[in-house]
Amino acid sequence: MNTRDKGQQKLLWGSAIVVGLVVVITLIDKRSIGMQWLLSGLTVGSIYALVAMGFSVIYSSTRVINFAQGGFSMLGGMLMFSLSVSGKLPLWLGFILAVLIVTALGAGFERIVIHPMKDKSAITVIIVTIGLSIFMTAIAKWIWGTDPVKIAAFSGDKPIRFLGASLVPQSLWVFGLTLVAVALVFVFFNKTLLGKGMRAAANNPDAASLVGVSSSTSSLVAWTIAAGLGAAAGVVIAPINFAQYSAGTALGLKGFSAAVLGGLGSAPGAVVGGLVLGVLEQITAGYLPSGYKDAVAFVILILVLLVRPQGLLGRPEEVKV
Amino acid sequence: MERLLPKPGDSDRRAYRTLLIVAVFIFVVPAWSRLIPGSVLHMDIVNIMVLVGVYACAVVGLNLLVGYGGQISLGHAAFFGVGAYTTAILCTKLHWFPTWLGIICGAVLAGMVGWLVGKPVLRLKGNYLAMATLGLGEIAFILFQQVKGLTGGTVGIVDIPPLSVFGLKFDTDLKLFFVVWAVVMILMLLSINLIRSRVGRGLRALHSSEVAADAMGVNTSRYKVQVFVLSAVFAGLGGALFAHFQKYVNPESFTLALSILFITMVVVGGMGNVWGGLVGVVILTFLPSVIQALPQWIPGLPSGLANFSNYELVLYGALLIVFMMFLPKGVAFGLSRAGKYSEVRARHLRDRIKARKMEGR
Repeated sequence: MNTRDKGQQKLLWGSAIVVGLVVVITLIDKRSIGMQWLLSGLTVGSIYALVAMGFSVIYSSTRVINFAQGGFSMLGGMLMFSLSVSGKLPLWLGFILAVLIVTALGAGFERIVIHPMKDKSAITVIIVTIGLSIFMTAIAKWIWGTDPVKIAAFSGDKPIRFLGASLVPQSLWVFGLTLVAVALVFVFFNKTLLGKGMRAAANNPDAASLVGVSSSTSSLVAWTIAAGLGAAAGVVIAPINFAQYSAGTALGLKGFSAAVLGGLGSAPGAVVGGLVLGVLEQITAGYLPSGYKDAVAFVILILVLLVRPQGLLGRPEEVKV
Repeated sequence: MERLLPKPGDSDRRAYRTLLIVAVFIFVVPAWSRLIPGSVLHMDIVNIMVLVGVYACAVVGLNLLVGYGGQISLGHAAFFGVGAYTTAILCTKLHWFPTWLGIICGAVLAGMVGWLVGKPVLRLKGNYLAMATLGLGEIAFILFQQVKGLTGGTVGIVDIPPLSVFGLKFDTDLKLFFVVWAVVMILMLLSINLIRSRVGRGLRALHSSEVAADAMGVNTSRYKVQVFVLSAVFAGLGGALFAHFQKYVNPESFTLALSILFITMVVVGGMGNVWGGLVGVVILTFLPSVIQALPQWIPGLPSGLANFSNYELVLYGALLIVFMMFLPKGVAFGLSRAGKYSEVRARHLRDRIKARKMEGR
């Protein structure tokens, strides 16, 4: 284990301790709802983590901030509604189909729009992703209307009691899915040739292309993974948060804040950032009027950029000429 | 002695000449819109042109940021809103407050907000500003709604007095038209000069290679912050004028949709082209009115076209993607190419006529 990994571990523990302290403080607080906040925080935090991972995967392989990332989640939730509620398909089939459709859309968009623009500046590509994000929102508004839609929880609504707090069963699905997704991403990037190649390309694109890592394939795979992660997050959170055409923007912003908090481009960072952001948001909502809850992500984003731009687990970016 | 205005070179003279032509063309709009009454076109041209002008303030600044700073702002509606709310609050809560001072306060406050956000974010390489301003836009919208004591909540502020400068009241669309467009022309002149200034050269160097610019001693992040703050001030100014034009403000006017509209205007007009912003604003501000008027011009078209707001976002999204893919330099670039082409053709034609005459002699 080299020094950098040690540094990362220190930070990982550090952030765990910070969250732990916050939890202890809130548990001591007379209202004793700290556990509740922790559980709800980890639930939304898992979703932020998945979205953040999508941002990081695309960013590390193409240096583009994908503004449509939140849109993938929104689309996943809405498709789940159409398939399983309107289309009366079984839940598991609806889930798989919704994720597959969005993944295919993400891959198709990369091939049709992003790939031909590979020589253009990052700002041009970012504007295109902004366009895609608006386009998806507008189309969703057209198809599904403006009202939020309700999707039944995967296994009932009966809350589970856990250390004095109640937990909706859907949260377990969220945790489970996040674990599986993180494990898959980890295996892909550490055990497969393609994944290792993509990591090499993220580290040094020129050297990687010299040894035969195709940047075109990397970009396609990155978009596919990001769309899949986003869609899965959108589907599994839909029963808790309602699915709505406009949900993508806020989710995208929070996922991005989580990615920056953890270190943009770092997959473990995305997970840590997402969970920490989720918990902090719940605690803030507990003490402040809930209207300000959405401001937490933004404040954290600005603070991180001010104090530690490389995030909790990221490395400072070095620019070579 | 240092010159306040640098000595104009050939391309500068060209820019000033174009500005003059554009100014003359725009200031006679009220006259020719009398010749073709708006009722024939089913739209109030002077009224729309005032709106074009206030949007242009924001878009001209945003164009500098996108085209020269290489950064995107998705929160310019927030600066526009800060400008509008500042003057609205000052002029309605304090009745003696001069409206022109309210507008200046709005612009300054917008610039200060821009500095607060831009300073930390623009230190970094990469496009963090886009997300940060997206967040800023959302927060501004939340604050406009939540701080009810100042902003009047969702209802907003009504009965904003018309703009008046030392007793001279600009209470009709036509009077306001001249004020707003005079402001736009001043901002255009500032932009043209800025591009040629030290800051402009630094920004251009930064655009071609940030690392090289850094190495040459260009303080890239400072220039980026400066141009971002300037664009925020322009947007605040536009917003403040907008408040006195509309006579009421509410949060719904300053949503993400407006920020997106501004970006679309820049992209359609042409990033990094001073005229681009102006062209984009004119096209996209008139577009809704034109589309809504279509069924009246051409009978038989579905009247559903009148509900433009239902599908405006689809259109903006599609425009952003299509322009970036196929026409990244925008309409203004096409126009200027056409202009140069026709100039070359004209010179060519003159030469040939001259040659003919010589032969004939």
